[in-house]
Amino acid sequence: MSLFFIVALPFLGALLPGLMNSAGRSATAGVTFTVTLAAFVGLLTNLPAVLAGNVVMARVDWMPLLGLNFSLMLDGLGFFFALLILGIGLLIIAYARHYLSRDDNMGQFFTYLLLFQGAMVGIVMSDNILLLLVFWELTSLSSFLLIGYWKHLPEGRQGARMALTVTGMGGLAMIGGMLMLGQIVGSYDLSVILQNRELIQADPLYVPALVLILLGAFTKSAQFPFHFWLPHAMAAPTPVSAYLHSATMVKAGIFLMARMWPVLSGTPEWFMIVTTAGLITMVLGAVIALFKHDLKALLAFSTVSHLGLITMLLGTGTAFGAMAAVFHILNHATFKAALFMSAGIIDHEAHTRDIRRLGGLRRLMPITFVIASLAALSMAGIPLLNGFLSKEMMLEEAYHTVLFGSPLLVPVLATVGSLFSAAYCFRLIGHVFFGPVRDDYPAKPHDPNTGLWLPPALLVVLVVAIGVAPFLAEPFVKLVTASVLGDAAAVPTAYFKIWHGLVPALYMSLIAIAGGLLMLALFKPALFVWDKAPRPEAKVIFEAIVEAVAKLARAVIHATHNGAFSRYAAIALVVMVAVGYHAWSTGTVGPDTRTVQYAPPVFIAAWLMLATATAGLVILHRNRLLSLILIGIVGLMVSIGFVFFSAPDLAMTQFTVEVVTIILLLLALNFLPKTTPVESTVLRRVRDTGVAVLGGLATFALSFHYLLRDAVSTPISEFHLANSYKGGGGTNVVNVILVDFRGFDTYGEIIVLGIAALLIYAMTETLLDGPVRARLLNRKPDQARSGNKHPMMMVVLTRVIMPVVLMVGFYIFLRGHNEPGGGFIAGLIVSIGVVMQYMASGFGWASARLRYPYHGVIGAGVLIAGLTGIGSWFFGKPFLTSDFTYVRIPPFEKFELATAALFDLGVFLAVVGAVMLSLESFSRLARLAGYHDSDEPMDIDPLRDDTIAAGHAAAEKKGV
Amino acid sequence: MSADLTLILPEIVLAVFAMLGLLGAVYTGKDALAPALVWATSALLVLVALWVGLAAPETHTGFGGMFIDDGFSRFAKVTLLLSAAAVLAMSEGYMSARGLLRFEYPILITLAVVGMMVMVSAGDLMSLYMGLELQSLALYVVASLRRDSIKSTEAGLKYFVLGALSSGLLLYGASLIYGYAGTTLFSGIIQTAQTGDVSLGMLFGLIFVISGLAFKVSAVPFHMWTPDVYEGAPTPITAFFATAPKVAAMGLFARVMHDAFGNAVGDWQQVVALISLLSMFLGAIAAIGQTNIKRLMAYSSIAHMGYALMGLASGTVFGVQAMLVYLAIYVTMNVGTFAFILMMERDGQPVVDVASLNMYSKREPGKALAMLVLLFSLAGVPPMLGFFGKLYVLRAAYEGGLAWLAIAGVVASVIGAFYYLRIVFYMYFGDENAEGLDGGKSPVLWGFLMASAVVMVLGIINMFGVEGAAAAAAASLVN
Repeated sequence: MSLFFIVALPFLGALLPGLMNSAGRSATAGVTFTVTLAAFVGLLTNLPAVLAGNVVMARVDWMPLLGLNFSLMLDGLGFFFALLILGIGLLIIAYARHYLSRDDNMGQFFTYLLLFQGAMVGIVMSDNILLLLVFWELTSLSSFLLIGYWKHLPEGRQGARMALTVTGMGGLAMIGGMLMLGQIVGSYDLSVILQNRELIQADPLYVPALVLILLGAFTKSAQFPFHFWLPHAMAAPTPVSAYLHSATMVKAGIFLMARMWPVLSGTPEWFMIVTTAGLITMVLGAVIALFKHDLKALLAFSTVSHLGLITMLLGTGTAFGAMAAVFHILNHATFKAALFMSAGIIDHEAHTRDIRRLGGLRRLMPITFVIASLAALSMAGIPLLNGFLSKEMMLEEAYHTVLFGSPLLVPVLATVGSLFSAAYCFRLIGHVFFGPVRDDYPAKPHDPNTGLWLPPALLVVLVVAIGVAPFLAEPFVKLVTASVLGDAAAVPTAYFKIWHGLVPALYMSLIAIAGGLLMLALFKPALFVWDKAPRPEAKVIFEAIVEAVAKLARAVIHATHNGAFSRYAAIALVVMVAVGYHAWSTGTVGPDTRTVQYAPPVFIAAWLMLATATAGLVILHRNRLLSLILIGIVGLMVSIGFVFFSAPDLAMTQFTVEVVTIILLLLALNFLPKTTPVESTVLRRVRDTGVAVLGGLATFALSFHYLLRDAVSTPISEFHLANSYKGGGGTNVVNVILVDFRGFDTYGEIIVLGIAALLIYAMTETLLDGPVRARLLNRKPDQARSGNKHPMMMVVLTRVIMPVVLMVGFYIFLRGHNEPGGGFIAGLIVSIGVVMQYMASGFGWASARLRYPYHGVIGAGVLIAGLTGIGSWFFGKPFLTSDFTYVRIPPFEKFELATAALFDLGVFLAVVGAVMLSLESFSRLARLAGYHDSDEPMDIDPLRDDTIAAGHAAAEKKGV
Repeated sequence: MSADLTLILPEIVLAVFAMLGLLGAVYTGKDALAPALVWATSALLVLVALWVGLAAPETHTGFGGMFIDDGFSRFAKVTLLLSAAAVLAMSEGYMSARGLLRFEYPILITLAVVGMMVMVSAGDLMSLYMGLELQSLALYVVASLRRDSIKSTEAGLKYFVLGALSSGLLLYGASLIYGYAGTTLFSGIIQTAQTGDVSLGMLFGLIFVISGLAFKVSAVPFHMWTPDVYEGAPTPITAFFATAPKVAAMGLFARVMHDAFGNAVGDWQQVVALISLLSMFLGAIAAIGQTNIKRLMAYSSIAHMGYALMGLASGTVFGVQAMLVYLAIYVTMNVGTFAFILMMERDGQPVVDVASLNMYSKREPGKALAMLVLLFSLAGVPPMLGFFGKLYVLRAAYEGGLAWLAIAGVVASVIGAFYYLRIVFYMYFGDENAEGLDGGKSPVLWGFLMASAVVMVLGIINMFGVEGAAAAAAASLVN
């Protein structure tokens, strides 16, 4: 049968149990059994080819770009494992049919089981390591679902969590290792990778790859220090424990180590890591198992111990070790599955698994007794049973292994492990089956029906058969060993015999058995010591680690990410400086192309003023009025800078914008607290100062660097200078840029400006309708108001000056095309003129005398600019193409007419409208707050005294 | 001119739609049009996605090279259009029920999408900035849509200020690049870098541009806004933040790096690799301590962006392909996950505490299973689709000579798996006595959750052909 079909069968079959659920329990189990049997038979059809030493392959491209192909291979090792998975699977299904109670959802159970089975078969048959990874994690997923099957058991929760966390994370680590392996070899096909031992072991990535792959294998096979999850996962139904946690899934890690043995083993790193982990696991598991009172926990730790044994054998890196490992995998699968099923029977019949509450079952459950005892004795390493044979081989191998330079370490520890192993086997038999029959079992135990005892019995038949006639298993084990070894080593010639003569292994074995019996005899005092002795509980450690990690994570986050904006900004700034420094230090710094110019005292003075104002701003920013004034100074110094660099347009713009913004800000400040409260600690201010100085220095360094060097390419200004007069008809380049070269930008900008003003208006409207209205109406000024609201001097002056301002604005507007000026600046100047009227004479007085609504002014501006642009369409030119001509109307001189002037008019109107509309919006707030306007601005306000009194009262109230 | 306009017709259609929607909504009752507008927008986005996706596989440039319409931009556009459409469709029920549905919402989303489409098609520093700001401005507003919530407005404000900072950085960088290249066109910039070394001025420009872009993809150390915005914004908006803008920003990132600095891979590779590394680890570690699932998803998205950047850092065609595949998978996963989060409620109130998922599987086995699939996929556990995304970027990193980054990526994914699996644990083995969630009946959300989970499983067959499309898209970008 095609390999695809064997792998696909369980997956396809997984649909059936769920569908059959209503057809009854037997039918559900039956269909599952049939599916598995079909896969099993399909596997057997490949037996001849495997026996002949061929590797059966099947391949379909899946995602070739990724190197992921659905390619399967079946060699001795794969066949061996597939046989175990499907064979024991059949027995487990039969057993589970009788084990699960009526209340359990059998369809769901068997669906998960088949999924798991398919994934396991997939692992052992994968020829592509990425495919193997896919199946690998599928087993984690399906086993999670199986463990969670009985979620009503509270002790199962922690177990499931640990199992999922540990194996899931291990699997992810393995992905990295596998990727590296594939990268080293250049192929993700196992058959190719296994040919490249030298290449892989010589690569610098070998060690990280090895570590990551072993992480995956160790977590899956519960090797030290990840051994703790397995026993806790045993809360699952017994068939699951028997299948997953003893016979198959936990062997996936072992399988992987065996599979990778030809390319990964044989190096000191492999030897040190794998052997040490295996040895520790073996001894630790055996010792803990002895003192467990839960039958399943005992078996679980014994499984851990035996997995350690196999790992250690693979770790030695010798061919004999590999063969012993293969043999022990087979033997362990048989006796341990039988033992788990026996434990399940006892639990099922006696309703307890606590060894302390059992005893004397020998008479009540004779069949179970025979099965369990034979299996346990095999596990203990008693001759004539299969466990003895492989244990003997293990001890033999251990005898020859030198670890950390000590020839004694491995043999002694291996003997100790075997000793405890024998002890817990004896304890299992002695304390459960022997002793007096009790009368306080939770339920009256008796042998179960055939369906429950037959599956383990079949396994025990194998245990005895191999134990008595090891030559039966020998060719098969050697075949498997050959495929494990690959080309790396030859299969050892040693024969499988019960009697090897008086070899050291036999003595070690005898010591172990005798010691085991002695241990059982001394169990009570030993248990007393064990209970008293302080020992780290893996589960507690796991919990502690989880908690510590979470704490650490929270601490990290709290330190870097506490919600404070200033910290975010500080971190971002520091990183920017660091990255900039990185660029500086790695980039090539060219030589200076300009010399530093002499700085006259005037410039230095201006610079000092700028710096002082800026520094003062930072220091005094809590006084908001003061900081506004300082901002004004900074802006003025910048305008002066523009003058120095021969940019009068910019200077004028900057200057007027500065005035307008400061006025608007002052108006807004009227409604805000006048000081900023102190919120930061001194420490934080020191930190912020440091960061700010750092950032400032970095910016300075960068600017200085650029100032000393010419830009690589010619600046665009040369184009503008060359074309300004020729193409735009103006000698003022800045203005020509605004209204011609980049007229479209300007058009967009005035629209944005207008929208912004409208938005301010709209927001004010909304505010005044909302709860703010009431607050404003009841607002008491926090400072005394001047009684002379409209000082006469100022009123007179502004009114006199108004025509002059308008004239200047008109002049600036007209000259803009050729001299510094233009619509934008003119708009600002006119605005300032009007604003002064408002300030001097009050809003009521001024607005009564203005005829045009500002909305309309903005709209008219945008419209005029837009129409100017559209006008060019009538001449077949693109939007906003400008034109100009020179005319002479006597008696005037020749002068220029440009469409750009019309456009500029639009800009002018939009600016005036926008500024005034914003101002009007602010003043609406003020007027609502009860700042009375008087229609006669030059009069003394009669309410003056009251206002002052109210102000004083408010101030006193605050003081209290 | 008309050829140029044809090129941006999809963008024009969306923009005009947004304006018409605005007009329509202004002249109808308060938010009366909103639900219909949400659905209409969603449908329109899907149609535009089909339109863009089914266009002939050719490369056109318009507006003097400022706008590029190639396989790469089309791939990114289809991804972001579909994800935005999905999020919109998911949000109507949730927002209506909670009185959050304002008519501005679909319009702002549409405008943001237009900005994103310009971003991924940008062929010039100016169109780059134009798209970026159109998107950002819409997002600033959307982030603080819940105006009466202090958390939401605070998050929006932080996002705005930090965003302005990053835009400033980006502009500064762009001006330096312009100063040293003499052009803002990517095709011109790449010419100046052709001679080998880029000048120091250019290098600074490059680094500032990278920093600005890193903010937009919420990569460490410019990620600070992400958890706050994710937590503060209404959940549908969080879902939006987690999907389409990420695709657009990553697309833009790749576009700038390859189209403008494709000859100077060595100069940006290390920086991108570094932020990728930091993002992966911070995302993985920080999420462990989170109990709010929205904050958790924020850190998760930071980590995921780290992985996507890993593909970019490799500097190869395969790397870009890996990045695109990763993004497509990431977006699909997030749509499903947020559909689930939107359904988390108790007594009609949204719940975001992870602990409320205790024993969820018992009450809602179907949804729990779908979420389990999604979480495994987010963690990158095979055989879910998320694994293939990770595999792609890890391979790309190896092949780009960044083995250390790939190893670090694996380690980070191991750490990150912890918190995804913790949620699975809560759902299946949690405390029975904890206060649980209500059913949360919404066929739309249920549909998105299930569809996303099914895609995570069935997608492993051939990724629905996304692989090939991504390969073609990557080839059109890197040449």
